[in-house]
Amino acid sequence: MADLKVDLGFGTLKNPVITASGTFGYGEEFLPFFDLDILGAIVTKGIFREPRPGNPPPRLQETPAGLLNSIGLAGPGSSALQEIIRRLHAKTSTPIIVNVCGEDDDEFAEVAAIFSAMDEVAMLELNISCPNVKKGGACPAQDAGHTARLVKRVKEGIRKPLVVKLSPNAADIVRVAQAAQDAGADALSLVNTFLGLAVDLGKRQPVFANVYAGLSGPAVKPLALRLVREVCRRSYVPVIGMGGITSGRDVLDYILVGAAAVQIGTVNFYEPAAAVRIIGEIEAEMDKLKIKDLSEIRGKLQAG
Amino acid sequence: MTVMGRFRQEAAPIYSPAEAWHNASMVDERGLIEESRSLGGDYFLLKIAAPRIATTAKPGNFVMVRVSPTLDPLLRRPLGILESRPPYVWLYYQVLGHGTRLLSRLGPGDGVDILGPLGNVFPELPGKRVLLVAGGRGIVPLFHYARAYGERRPLLLLYGGRTRADLPLLERIKTLRLQGLFIFSEDGSLGQKGLLTDGLEKIVREEKADATMSCGPEAMLARVAQILKSRGLENHASLEALMGCGFGACHGCAVRTTAGAYRKVCDEGPVFPLEEIQWRT
Repeated sequence: MADLKVDLGFGTLKNPVITASGTFGYGEEFLPFFDLDILGAIVTKGIFREPRPGNPPPRLQETPAGLLNSIGLAGPGSSALQEIIRRLHAKTSTPIIVNVCGEDDDEFAEVAAIFSAMDEVAMLELNISCPNVKKGGACPAQDAGHTARLVKRVKEGIRKPLVVKLSPNAADIVRVAQAAQDAGADALSLVNTFLGLAVDLGKRQPVFANVYAGLSGPAVKPLALRLVREVCRRSYVPVIGMGGITSGRDVLDYILVGAAAVQIGTVNFYEPAAAVRIIGEIEAEMDKLKIKDLSEIRGKLQAG
Repeated sequence: MTVMGRFRQEAAPIYSPAEAWHNASMVDERGLIEESRSLGGDYFLLKIAAPRIATTAKPGNFVMVRVSPTLDPLLRRPLGILESRPPYVWLYYQVLGHGTRLLSRLGPGDGVDILGPLGNVFPELPGKRVLLVAGGRGIVPLFHYARAYGERRPLLLLYGGRTRADLPLLERIKTLRLQGLFIFSEDGSLGQKGLLTDGLEKIVREEKADATMSCGPEAMLARVAQILKSRGLENHASLEALMGCGFGACHGCAVRTTAGAYRKVCDEGPVFPLEEIQWRT
């Protein structure tokens, strides 16, 4: 039987499948569909200090094998999320990772400190890469200098491991990744959504009020896989890969280019129990390929 | 100023997923198509064996249908439940794009994944004299309501569409227990000529309705809200929306309320007090 355990250095996961922020609600929404204990970890939907209404509709547009979203990090605020996390933790032993947001560096640090203090929280993911907050898609993860300052600042106020979530829209994601790890990130996760544009030809207007939106889904997998490989080649902290995963085979592709673990996102929307199927497929695929442990293939892409 | 900034001063949403759950019984069920019937125009009636959903579905609930097992289209399609009689659910839909076209090509014996029952329900309102206001395919949840509760209370139905071809469910509607049926078509090809909203005020007054339940195009619902304003009736509306998941996880189906907050159509709706919705038209 294949061993799916993942050692991140600062903690272990029972398997590499983590549900991605913004695609798994606050965990509770999926309780009717499967036992959350089977997951490697859960990342909660991004949270700010205060409640946040999110962007005006429309917020979604389907694309070929993909999804453009401009949700705008709608959420109940950090006090309400603390309550939800206590409830969630009472229902599952799976590690809970809180995705932390901020309008500015102060807010990132403050929200991170709030959730770092919760026993129910295993680690934090710093969401410096959401393209739907500022008009035009700007975010801290586009700038290595800002990323370094912010990570250092957040790390000073927390005791939990910090995963820093990177943007594929940075001019040089490898530089930003290095800045994040040098500043103290315990792990990196990538990629957030790709900036995209949809237009309304009749109205001569963008479909989304924020103009640009974030593209996810199977369509982005080759783009994301390349970026994950590039970052893995230069990083000394674990990398959590994501982008378009819909099968066990996709997960193993990410492990092969060097990812320690993965996150699954858009697939959760149209197949709520996708994680159960994907974890089963990883085991079956490993047995078929006679892989006993994920470390046998991690980073073993032979590209000359 | 960012788009976000504009809303920062307004009422904050008070929201917790647990409070928004209406359907702990929702399941992702493999349905088996028993019959798919073209009703002319772009309209289709689908009869699916889905015993678990059929047993728990209530008027107002909807389902998310995966029209293809491939990645095209990626997302499921939200469809209202016309009727449920275990082990069957009936869906009535209009072909509007790629997804519904693929669905219309499925036939008896084909399997289809359906997620449901989703969303909240229409209040039963025992003893009330209820007027159902259905525009086009908006008939779906109201038909379900009339089928489920028509025996127990006086119900009236106001049903309108562009032409006779947009009202293909009329024969089926005649099997409902109704105290009054009022038909409007814009071209006069069936019933009275005009918009159903032209007849609404008179019907409410003469038929002494206590409550209304509406479903239809947004422009129609906005007009219904305007006509019924300050008349002292209890008014509910079921909304249609583009949805990513259908069960509250993606926050993609937001609708603006008059309080300035957003509500998710999928799990905080699709049924809302009519007065709470901020219409865009």
